[in-house]
Amino acid sequence: MLGDIALLFVCLLGGESVHRLAGVPLPGSIIGMVLLFGWLALVRRSRPGLSSATTWLTGHLSVMFVPSAVGLVNEGPILSRYGLALAVATAVSTVLTSVVTVLVFRWTLARVSERGERHA
Amino acid sequence: MNDLMSSQVFWLTATLVAFAAADFVSRRSRRHPFCHPVLLATPVLIAILLLTGTSYATYLEATQVLGFLLGPAVVGLAVPIWERRALIGRLAMPIAAALAAGSLTAIVSAVGIMMLFGAPRSILASIAPRASTTPVAMEMASQLGGVAALAAVIVLFAGVVGAMTATPLFDALKIRDYRARGFAIGVSAHGFGAARAFQVDSTAGTFAGLGMALNAIATALLLSIAAILV
Repeated sequence: MLGDIALLFVCLLGGESVHRLAGVPLPGSIIGMVLLFGWLALVRRSRPGLSSATTWLTGHLSVMFVPSAVGLVNEGPILSRYGLALAVATAVSTVLTSVVTVLVFRWTLARVSERGERHA
Repeated sequence: MNDLMSSQVFWLTATLVAFAAADFVSRRSRRHPFCHPVLLATPVLIAILLLTGTSYATYLEATQVLGFLLGPAVVGLAVPIWERRALIGRLAMPIAAALAAGSLTAIVSAVGIMMLFGAPRSILASIAPRASTTPVAMEMASQLGGVAALAAVIVLFAGVVGAMTATPLFDALKIRDYRARGFAIGVSAHGFGAARAFQVDSTAGTFAGLGMALNAIATALLLSIAAILV
């Protein structure tokens, strides 16, 4: 378990290093996620400890957002000026994204399976 | 007394207790989107800050350990994707196409509408990553010159809207494939959507988790490219 947590942090450190030293604009944690994916692909052994550590972390993601959300206390002027616009933009964008994604998924899946059947 | 109000233990305890209470209410409401624990705990903590006259900087410093955990948590998102690699491989084409279309739609529509309202760059940067999962959205927002706290709240709101509209929306479009439905809700409404999808159907939930993780990467990539170009 400790080794699995160390692996998470080694990937995070690697991601931060790539972000800062190589100037890759992706956040260090995202690069770290790609590094961990690469590690899992290279070192093929089961890691039940890693799974339980990451399940615990993702299961408690919500509480980690609280300190940033409290930062709204300083954003009163922005919210009173743009709050309604932000709500409208977020709602419209979310519904639109659901529709576009689901339609493209279905359309592409139909095209792929059609071609598959023709070849088969 | 002043010492106590600026102590790490006080604010960390207050945050955990407020969250635990909010989580209790959320469970009692059967995880109603409007009773999300972050949505309930945040105003309580803001009220305590205002009542005690504590600055946000003091609070943030005291609770930084919570934010710190986001780093390893995001890295850990690689694990569920790795475990589902066989499923992803079989449906690579529809997944890639839907991801590209959905990710672009989310960014362009949100930023476009805010531009119509004449919003400044800091606000555009805060809403641009709205479809990605919160830690990524906050990180991308601050990297682009936005406000991390604002990004967090926008993402939360997107999750509520996405989770509430998904079922009626997909029924109206007559889409019964739970892989497509799940993936779409994961791309448009991240973990919130995934949580909702798991309530409806386990295949939908799996694809929603995948959509969420992949869109976190896609959004970060697209915005990083946009930041270089603009």
